[in-house]
Amino acid sequence: MGAGVLKGGEWAIRRTGGSVIPAMTSADFISLLQGAAVTVALSLAGIVIGVPLGLSLAILLWRRVPLAQLIVKTYVSLIRATPLVTLGLLIYFALPAIGLQIGPVTAAILTLAINTTAFNCEIWRAGLTDFPKDQIESAQAFGMSWPHTFRRIMLPQVARTCLPALVNEMTLLLKGSPAIAVVGIVDVTRAAVRIGANTYEPLPPFLLATALYAAIVFVFVRAQRWLEGSSKAR
Amino acid sequence: MCKAQVFACATWRHMLLAAIAAVVLSSVGPAQAATLDEVKKRGYLLVATEDDYKPFEFVQDGKPTGFDNELLELLKKHAPFEVRQDIIPWTSLLAGVSTGKYDVALTAALITKERAKSLDFTMPIADATHYFVKRKGDQSIKEIKDLNGKILGIQAGSGLLQRLPELEAMLAQTGGKIGKVVEYTSYPEAYQDLALKRTDFVINTVINLQALVKEKPTVFEVGLPVSGKSYPAWAVAKGNAELLGFLNGFLAEQKKNGTFAKLQEKWFGQAFPDLPAQWEPEF
Repeated sequence: MGAGVLKGGEWAIRRTGGSVIPAMTSADFISLLQGAAVTVALSLAGIVIGVPLGLSLAILLWRRVPLAQLIVKTYVSLIRATPLVTLGLLIYFALPAIGLQIGPVTAAILTLAINTTAFNCEIWRAGLTDFPKDQIESAQAFGMSWPHTFRRIMLPQVARTCLPALVNEMTLLLKGSPAIAVVGIVDVTRAAVRIGANTYEPLPPFLLATALYAAIVFVFVRAQRWLEGSSKAR
Repeated sequence: MCKAQVFACATWRHMLLAAIAAVVLSSVGPAQAATLDEVKKRGYLLVATEDDYKPFEFVQDGKPTGFDNELLELLKKHAPFEVRQDIIPWTSLLAGVSTGKYDVALTAALITKERAKSLDFTMPIADATHYFVKRKGDQSIKEIKDLNGKILGIQAGSGLLQRLPELEAMLAQTGGKIGKVVEYTSYPEAYQDLALKRTDFVINTVINLQALVKEKPTVFEVGLPVSGKSYPAWAVAKGNAELLGFLNGFLAEQKKNGTFAKLQEKWFGQAFPDLPAQWEPEF
């Protein structure tokens, strides 16, 4: 346990006028770190599914594929209107009702992926719509096939313009992930709740949880800067 | 950024389709809860417990403990089938049992009229008369009538909310009224806000409050009862009579051999020998 943790604990005790009891044990500290690992792992799983799937859906919209376009638009409208908690509860409790047994981890990943895919789809769609038409026409004038044009001309440029918005959505997903605790996942926030419920001192674990979120988001943003740098260098 | 956007792309047709899809999803009926026979056939019973309801169920050093968790260990030995445990937040616990995701809510769920519509309760496991707790040494609250107009902190979606009319009636005798009511998702936050003077008193069951004051004797002080009789129990889905009978049989055995009283002493600081074998809630 670092000095910062103790300071947070002392502060909480002074605020509540309580006696000086060590508010958190090293086991508590470990459970918070485990919670942080769960938060990162599940969010990454959501991102790994959501970013490419969002792109695929955005292509369907951009190419105006008749029926698929309608389905994707409905999906995006529905998910944008559904809070993560509600979506999690729906997946976890409604799927067994139609005969699909589903575990908490699967339910959590599904919830996060379904949610972030919709937002990623919108980000990619904006990127594709804004892409200059003359570049596509030039590529085709040179005899490039559509998949080839997409892969070599469009995707590198669209990915670069979409990157900040995509990373932004990733950090939103990460910070929204405590919602999946409703299905029994112990993420960093739930771990903090449990410690607070035991010690009756919710402040120290929450301060530590906040610090952990900040550290994780910092890594994401650094990765974005690094990717931006390396794509410019090309 | 993108989450704040309005439905820029959605036309009315898509909104309508989305609404229809939502209605279709919500009309999916609840799954049938597993009967005792089905539990035996599939080989396991799935119970759900909470993780932040000290002293009934909480997590210490990464391990579930408390009154209910100790009973659960005994139930595992008693049952002729495997007993599996899922630890989930209160928010989704009772819904999980009434939809058939879990077979038993192995927690201290207050028996209320509203809940009795979708759940069946075992025999009470403790006394849950509601008391108020205040900040230690708060001279402005000495009697019930002093609660007039004070800010109350209480758990959202709890059975305790439904008993507030009783306090209202008590206060009305002296011309008083309940002040602002602040609802929390769980009690630790409610206690924290009481300590920080955002609220003036918190209502919870006598056991929970005694546990709190034992841990924080310089911060909080248990006040007076603010409700009539109230009992918590485990719950199963409505109409699951054989499973309920099995659980009641287990609890009756623990009462008879003295384990029940011993666990109550250990976790609540007192035994409750006069608990009714069945309780019909008035509220």
